[in-house]
Amino acid sequence: MIEFKDVSLVYPNGTQGLKNVNVTINDGEFVVIVGLSGAGKSTLIRSINRLVTPTNGSLLVDDEDILKYRSKNLRKLRTKTGMIFQNYNLVKRSNVLKNVLAGRLGHTGTLRSIFNMYSKKDKSLAYESLKRVNIEEKVYNRADELSGGQQQRVSIARVLTQQPKYILADEPVASLDPPTSHQVMTYLKKINKEDNITTIVNLHFIDMAMEYADRIIGMRAGEVVFDGPASEVTEKTFEEIYGRSIREDDLRGGTES
Amino acid sequence: MNLTLPPKPKNSLFKKLRAIVITISIIALYIWTFLGIDLDWEKAINKLIQQFDKVIPMLFSPDWSATGEVALTMLETIFIAFAGSLMAAILAVPLSFLAANNMMGKYLSMPGKWLLSAIRAFPDLILAILFVVAVGPNAFAGVLAIAIGSTGMLGKLFSEIIEQIDKDVVQGMQANGANRTQVLFYAVLPQIIPEFLSYAIYRFEVDIRASSILGIVGAGGIGTMIVFASANDNWSQMGTILVGIIVVVTVIDFTSAFIRKRIV
Repeated sequence: MIEFKDVSLVYPNGTQGLKNVNVTINDGEFVVIVGLSGAGKSTLIRSINRLVTPTNGSLLVDDEDILKYRSKNLRKLRTKTGMIFQNYNLVKRSNVLKNVLAGRLGHTGTLRSIFNMYSKKDKSLAYESLKRVNIEEKVYNRADELSGGQQQRVSIARVLTQQPKYILADEPVASLDPPTSHQVMTYLKKINKEDNITTIVNLHFIDMAMEYADRIIGMRAGEVVFDGPASEVTEKTFEEIYGRSIREDDLRGGTES
Repeated sequence: MNLTLPPKPKNSLFKKLRAIVITISIIALYIWTFLGIDLDWEKAINKLIQQFDKVIPMLFSPDWSATGEVALTMLETIFIAFAGSLMAAILAVPLSFLAANNMMGKYLSMPGKWLLSAIRAFPDLILAILFVVAVGPNAFAGVLAIAIGSTGMLGKLFSEIIEQIDKDVVQGMQANGANRTQVLFYAVLPQIIPEFLSYAIYRFEVDIRASSILGIVGAGGIGTMIVFASANDNWSQMGTILVGIIVVVTVIDFTSAFIRKRIV
């Protein structure tokens, strides 16, 4: 369970990233956070694994205030919160297997990982993860030989290999075309249901949010302005969140291929 | 057809005046310099023509009997360059990390940057003279001169490579729960190693040329032969030496370009 209690964040340059956020995310939920760029979606999601640190309030993950965490605790926290990025953040010159095994880094001793001495269990886990996103035939390809959608699937496999309790996905489909976007979202949703991993996804496409989310959180200017089940959400809700009428580019379009 | 051209840049009077003043000053400087040379131009030109008549034909009829000696000293030159650039490539790695902003922070990286600049301030020949004094006139002096000189350059290039790595990949690893050492081995090294190798090989190429000269101050290699050949007016031997240098430098240029293309 993740609980934001009156969390605020002011960046060193004075920008208000988050403003008195109170949100509770229950285990197993598939939450989509929507909002315009600069609304604080990224800041919210990156607070959970402390890539950014809120300046006020308390943020509880499994009943522990993570804002007090320092290096060692922090790495433990990050071991249970897997992250997926807009730009995949794979090591382009390393092969797919090595990228996926990097998901085990938090669980593996420094020396073992430096010398690539992963246990058979870890290796088979990595391969199983690749199979789950149907990209196992690329296991020895270099990451930069893959297309965007394939790279994002590898990064999902990396997160799966990490065996996290939470998956944080920061704009996972923003660099992809519509069919590939739906494919990636479908994998995320499937993993959420099958493994019961709490998943929080940032999106700015409202049609995708409505299609995949159990629950939608809307943000504007660092504040949570909507929080409710996806079934209650209409286009009107989005107009309120965005503070303007809905335009064509707010929609991803396309259907699942 | 009616073309829309970009508006003419505004050239202020000051700018035009400045350009004129600079041009006149430079021309004046040259005239003053040439007037200052105390030289009998007629004699000098006559001598030049005479020497050319003698030297150029000899350069183009190399003394092939010296081939063995040239090949041997050329080999020594290559070894000096290789040992020197290998040492430099190894020394430059820790120094480059110390001088990289994103590894040490903006202020802590300053001493490293200063050290590398200080090393670069010495021309290879000066370093060679220093080492000839220190360890005697032999190839080892040449190796040290090349090693130190190249460390300054490679250290700077390496630190720039480190500063250009993709920070997102580092962040990705941190988000996995990786510690600093793991981030270094998984996110930083894979990004920098191919480029480090490429620059080290390129530097070896440059060092071949540098080590051909070092012998002039007694630091081993083919430079010593160059000094003797010119002192003895033995221009046909000089021709052989030049052929040797040209062949080796060309071959190494091509091989290095080929290898570097493969690794990056």
